[in-house]
Amino acid sequence: MPATTLLEFSGVVRAFGRLRVLGGVSGRVAPGTVLAVTGPNGSGKSTLLKCLAGLLAPDAGRIDYREEGVTLDTATRRRRVGFLSPDLALYEELTVEENLHFFCRLRALPASRGGELRERVGLPATRRCGALSSGMRQRLRWAFALLHRPRLLLLDEPLEHFDAGGVELARDLLGEHLAGGGLAVVANPSRLELPHVADRLELAL
Amino acid sequence: MRKIAPWLLWIWIMVVIWAAFFYAPLAEGFVGQSSRILFFHVPMAWVSFVAFLAAGAWSIRFLAGGRRVAHDHAASAAVELGLLFCVLATVTGALWARVMWGAFWNWDPRQTSIVLAMIFYAAYLALRSAVEEPETRRRLAAAYAVLGLVVAPFLFFVLPRLTFSLHPDTVVNLRGRIEMESRMRQVLAASSLAFTVLFFWIHRIQVRLKARAERAPLGRTRP
Amino acid sequence: MSRTASSWLSEAAAVFAKEWRCELRTRYALNTVLLFAFTTLVMVSVALGPMGVDSAARATVLPMLLWLILLFAAAAGLPRVFGHEEEKHTATALRLAATPSALFCGKLAFSLTLFAAIEALTAPLFLAMMQLPVAAPGRFLATLVLGGWGLAAASTLVAAIVGQARGQSTLFAVLSFPVLLPLLLLAIEATRAAVGGGGGADSLSRLVLYDAAMTVVSLMLFPAIWNP
Repeated sequence: MPATTLLEFSGVVRAFGRLRVLGGVSGRVAPGTVLAVTGPNGSGKSTLLKCLAGLLAPDAGRIDYREEGVTLDTATRRRRVGFLSPDLALYEELTVEENLHFFCRLRALPASRGGELRERVGLPATRRCGALSSGMRQRLRWAFALLHRPRLLLLDEPLEHFDAGGVELARDLLGEHLAGGGLAVVANPSRLELPHVADRLELAL
Repeated sequence: MRKIAPWLLWIWIMVVIWAAFFYAPLAEGFVGQSSRILFFHVPMAWVSFVAFLAAGAWSIRFLAGGRRVAHDHAASAAVELGLLFCVLATVTGALWARVMWGAFWNWDPRQTSIVLAMIFYAAYLALRSAVEEPETRRRLAAAYAVLGLVVAPFLFFVLPRLTFSLHPDTVVNLRGRIEMESRMRQVLAASSLAFTVLFFWIHRIQVRLKARAERAPLGRTRP
Repeated sequence: MSRTASSWLSEAAAVFAKEWRCELRTRYALNTVLLFAFTTLVMVSVALGPMGVDSAARATVLPMLLWLILLFAAAAGLPRVFGHEEEKHTATALRLAATPSALFCGKLAFSLTLFAAIEALTAPLFLAMMQLPVAAPGRFLATLVLGGWGLAAASTLVAAIVGQARGQSTLFAVLSFPVLLPLLLLAIEATRAAVGGGGGADSLSRLVLYDAAMTVVSLMLFPAIWNP
């Protein structure tokens, strides 16, 4: 994979009103590697990942994401990244299949892609998402994140609610992603035993 | 220049007040001295509409020009001041209407327009107070101000036409029919100028106050 | 990856289909809105009755009542179109996956069809219960369509704004009133003309203008409202 795919961010600052959650954070992620973000509760891990995903605008600093040498603007980056987070939910009234099919249509992907991922993460097709257990919802989040074969994965609490089987699935999926030249930023890796951790970012309060 | 400009403004306003009472003649068909209110009421209404446009313009600049906080301060200050002038214009207008026609309110097209402007301002401020996150607040408020700008022509041009057909007994607005003596026109123009400059002067101060409040201790993290 | 026109359409259609699928499964908005419209209608009919309004004033007063009922029914059901995405935390997924303009158009299409359903129930019942004959039914229908478009477009945009704020239903009413007022007055005026049988072309053309302006400005403002 050409090294012209790269994520770089420097001096990222983000405050919520008077509370400064991120006070100037920097990092760099190359293809095939993982940036592990650790820190106590409230240190800004989720905020950082949301900024990287383009879901929050930083108050200061730069976020630079390049694919094949082309720097993407925020809107494009937002659509390109694979994002996973505890407060991401899919439609409860729709079944797993319908949900994935909907997002496939949004991303101009063939419907089979939804079925492919559903089987990969091991979810029943016709169960309504409102009736899924929390572990299954987490699997669904993984499916959503990987649907469009993103180069950059931003994972916030990727193992939340996972049993041993889920952890193994996560390891496999992440391993495949990295082996294919993808990049990843993972917050709270804990049991993940990340294979190619190139860097650690320790956030403090 | 900056030091003496406020003094110049004050002198100008004093001159206008004097002129309104002693230089300008009384308008025909008005009760007693009541036509003098014209020189204050009209500029107030005019300024409140200027404020409306200004808020819209600054909101567009905010959205399209890099989301600079200063532009948002300018827009919200314009709305706050606009509301103030709106209220003043409404009150002076109602007093005048009472003297002239015996009723404080009769949904004359201009009265309706001013009330609608007030409702818009109030809605904008309500929106601002309903959003906690500052960045989101600025964005949403700016979008609403621009929406207001687009709807404004309909409010202020469609409404007068319609109200006539809805209330055929509405008294025709005198302002459209006044044949103004040149002296009255002079005083009116002078007063309008004074009020406009006053608006922008107070507006600048408001914006600076907001900027200062924003710069208050940031970076204080949780204990 | 640039979006071609057909994939944009497919996206908007997907959003539209998703809205209706979810709606038909919960029937939340439909129930609320239709029940509201029907209840208000019954109330008006019982209170005023077909003879309750002076025949001289009927052509003037009744169209206004009709649009008031439609307005409140819309306010009861349309704000949720964005509110529930934020509440249920599905908005994040949409922000990541959807093109803003296609998303807005899909939601707008949903609001339009929902409102059309409200109109289809309310208007005929109103005419029947109040025994109001319509001299120019073509114009009347055109007013319902054009008025409905403006109402749905403005409501959808305001719903997008309100979705990210607190106090949603009251804030929606506060924000949408100044925006909807010109539309309502134009629609009432055009309805009066259609009922009375004369004129109204002016109002209709202004309605078209309002609809066009509202649609264009909504499409322009939505990305700024939706994304940071």
